[in-house]
Amino acid sequence: MSTVPTLARSYEALRPKVLQRLLELRSTLDPSLGRLDDPTARAQIGAVLDHLGNFIVTGDLGLHRAFLHTFLAMRAAEAQSPASVLAMLVAIGDTAAQVAQEEGAGSPMGAELTLLLTRVTASTARGVNDLIAEELARRVGQHTELTKRAREGKR
Amino acid sequence: MTQQGPIRIAGDSHLGKVRTTNEDTLIIERRVGLYAVLDGMGGANAGDVASQLALETIRDFVLDRRTTLAPRALLEAAIVAGSTAVFTAAQQHRERHGMGTTVVACLVVDPTHVVVAHVGDSRAYLLRGGRLQTLTRDHTIVEELVGRGLLTAEEAERHPYKNVLSRNLGARAEPRVDLLELELRPGDRLLLCSDGLYGYASAEAIQYLLGSGDAPEHVARDLIDLALRGGGGDNVSTIVIETPAAAPSSTQVVRTRGALAWWQSRQRFLQVANDGGLTRNPIVRGLLPHEAIELVALSLCQAIYHDLEKSTGVNVWTFAQNLAAGWFERGGDWKAVRGLIDILGASARSVVDDIRAGDAQLGFLLDVAVSRALIVVELALGGLLAERLRQVDGDLIELHTTAVDTAEHETIEMYELHEVHELTGEGPRPSERFIDRPTIPFLRPDRPITSSGESAEVLNAIGKTITIARGRLSPRAELVAQILVALETVATDNGGNFAAAVLAARELYGVRSVDNAGVTPLYDALDKARILVASSVHQIRAPQAIRVRVLRALSTAHQRLVGATTGLVLEAVGPFSERLREVQAVTNELHDAVAKAERLRADLERRFATIVDPSLPWGARGTTEW
Repeated sequence: MSTVPTLARSYEALRPKVLQRLLELRSTLDPSLGRLDDPTARAQIGAVLDHLGNFIVTGDLGLHRAFLHTFLAMRAAEAQSPASVLAMLVAIGDTAAQVAQEEGAGSPMGAELTLLLTRVTASTARGVNDLIAEELARRVGQHTELTKRAREGKR
Repeated sequence: MTQQGPIRIAGDSHLGKVRTTNEDTLIIERRVGLYAVLDGMGGANAGDVASQLALETIRDFVLDRRTTLAPRALLEAAIVAGSTAVFTAAQQHRERHGMGTTVVACLVVDPTHVVVAHVGDSRAYLLRGGRLQTLTRDHTIVEELVGRGLLTAEEAERHPYKNVLSRNLGARAEPRVDLLELELRPGDRLLLCSDGLYGYASAEAIQYLLGSGDAPEHVARDLIDLALRGGGGDNVSTIVIETPAAAPSSTQVVRTRGALAWWQSRQRFLQVANDGGLTRNPIVRGLLPHEAIELVALSLCQAIYHDLEKSTGVNVWTFAQNLAAGWFERGGDWKAVRGLIDILGASARSVVDDIRAGDAQLGFLLDVAVSRALIVVELALGGLLAERLRQVDGDLIELHTTAVDTAEHETIEMYELHEVHELTGEGPRPSERFIDRPTIPFLRPDRPITSSGESAEVLNAIGKTITIARGRLSPRAELVAQILVALETVATDNGGNFAAAVLAARELYGVRSVDNAGVTPLYDALDKARILVASSVHQIRAPQAIRVRVLRALSTAHQRLVGATTGLVLEAVGPFSERLREVQAVTNELHDAVAKAERLRADLERRFATIVDPSLPWGARGTTEW
């Protein structure tokens, strides 16, 4: 029998503690989180924690990628660099895993949730890197095209 | 609660970087389980006299009376006796008048039970489950005011008298002592310290060092180093008390057994990496297979080992940087790096699975630790990719600016030709160049497109251009009018108009989203606005140089506005496009399946027809003849 619903329930039970921990430690975890005021930080972190819960339930990589895409676009509109967004997402996932490890110390379910959250964080980091790399490839294409046009214009 | 081994205690004290005498003293009296930090105060060397006198009185009191008083009463009475001694000495010696000392003391009743007492602003902390809690509340005037609700925490932090004590040993013969009894759990750590520590080190840093898993004597020393690095403006003293853990912490297990098990499995790691095709990856092209394995796989294996041993990620980070920085600089793609990391990740998981099969608990801890190491690799690579993206962005902006500069002169001439052609029908129809140039939707937040140094003349000319453009609009073209206003705002914004562009784009896109008309009308309107602006520039009365600058500012503002809008649109359609791609993939699969079924059906029909009617043209044996 799948343990995913049980893990998802365990995660939901832990979520307030994870949020509280992240709000307390946000400036030491990641500078971009530290710069945010409390309600904004709560909203941003809350959105990521919500999504983590959904991803644990569905395991849908397509939706995961779509969420990361949206999150990156929103943060870019707020002038956050992709590297700091990546660091922020990893810090959130890592803290969730640490809280799971502390709270579930010694229990198989705690261990499984810790591992799951760590792997989800790894998958998040990879997803963000894929998106940055795609954006980079697009820009390099634009650069090549513009250089070509500039050269043709000179002729 | 069963605990293994005795309680471990260590303490240390340091003069600091500013003071010439150390007025802090420590009590470490293992025979009776008494530990304390005292921080003396008062001029003319009286501070160290006060703390030393209180130390001796408290210690001797506990040694003498420990069999006659209960622990809580014993500690309280001892501290009161210490205060009486200091108070009396201060009264007897005029030059020592006003001397005093703080104290924070801990009496260990048994390995699970302690009494903590304090007077003044020396503190006791408890580290439990990785989290630091303050057990004491400073006896300062400001803290008392906060406690009574007369000051907020923020006001207290800035208050000029925040360090003025409301209680200390010596100010009166019998001070009020705050007491706390505490049940200890396995692995708990208590810290007693003077204000020279927490005044120069953050709570997070104290928590980090206290939870490092290092021996108490190292932690006590490291905490002092921390305060010294933070300025060391006061004497600093620490005592670390550690209850025996029921079992080694997970960090200790990973640092010892985990790191060793990992290193012992390195041959397996290298083998799986080799079998996974590491030597065929483009990044290691030109290397012999054993060189590739050694340079890449063995390096990562070593980096993970060292990081496991020290609970850091610095070696893995350096490995990833070294691996990919040169590759990206040479124009190498992400795909190759991704492929290589996938192979190494699979090798790591294979090793961890093997260890887990033999020792589930160790395997789990290693699994988490190695997964974290691989996350560090991704973080390092993400940093490199983002940096490369920033560089390409910069180059793109340079290129685009150059292109716009050369186009501007042509554009003004072109619109003059347009107007002549439209009004008179004479002259050659100009080729459309600038307005058909695609706007590149990129954003670079740190680069204002109109600097605050733009002259009033140019700003005025921008306003005039927009007024002329709006005058040429039909009253129904509300969206274009809104865009023109937004363009003016963005182009004349003094604060660096990135934020202005995003805000304007949000407003415009919000209008589209609400009326559910889609984004095409918005982009049409953006295009119309661009054409209108470009053709209105030549109608203002201004020198050619000003008109060029106006066009540059407005066209760049337009570009920024389109970029911000595109960001919002992408953000909104991202999930749908993902879904669409999935649906398309499924549809393609279905198409293939239907085509295959069609071919099979046709083949079966031919065979069937041959069997029932040999006279059909493709022959008796079913061979095709047409």
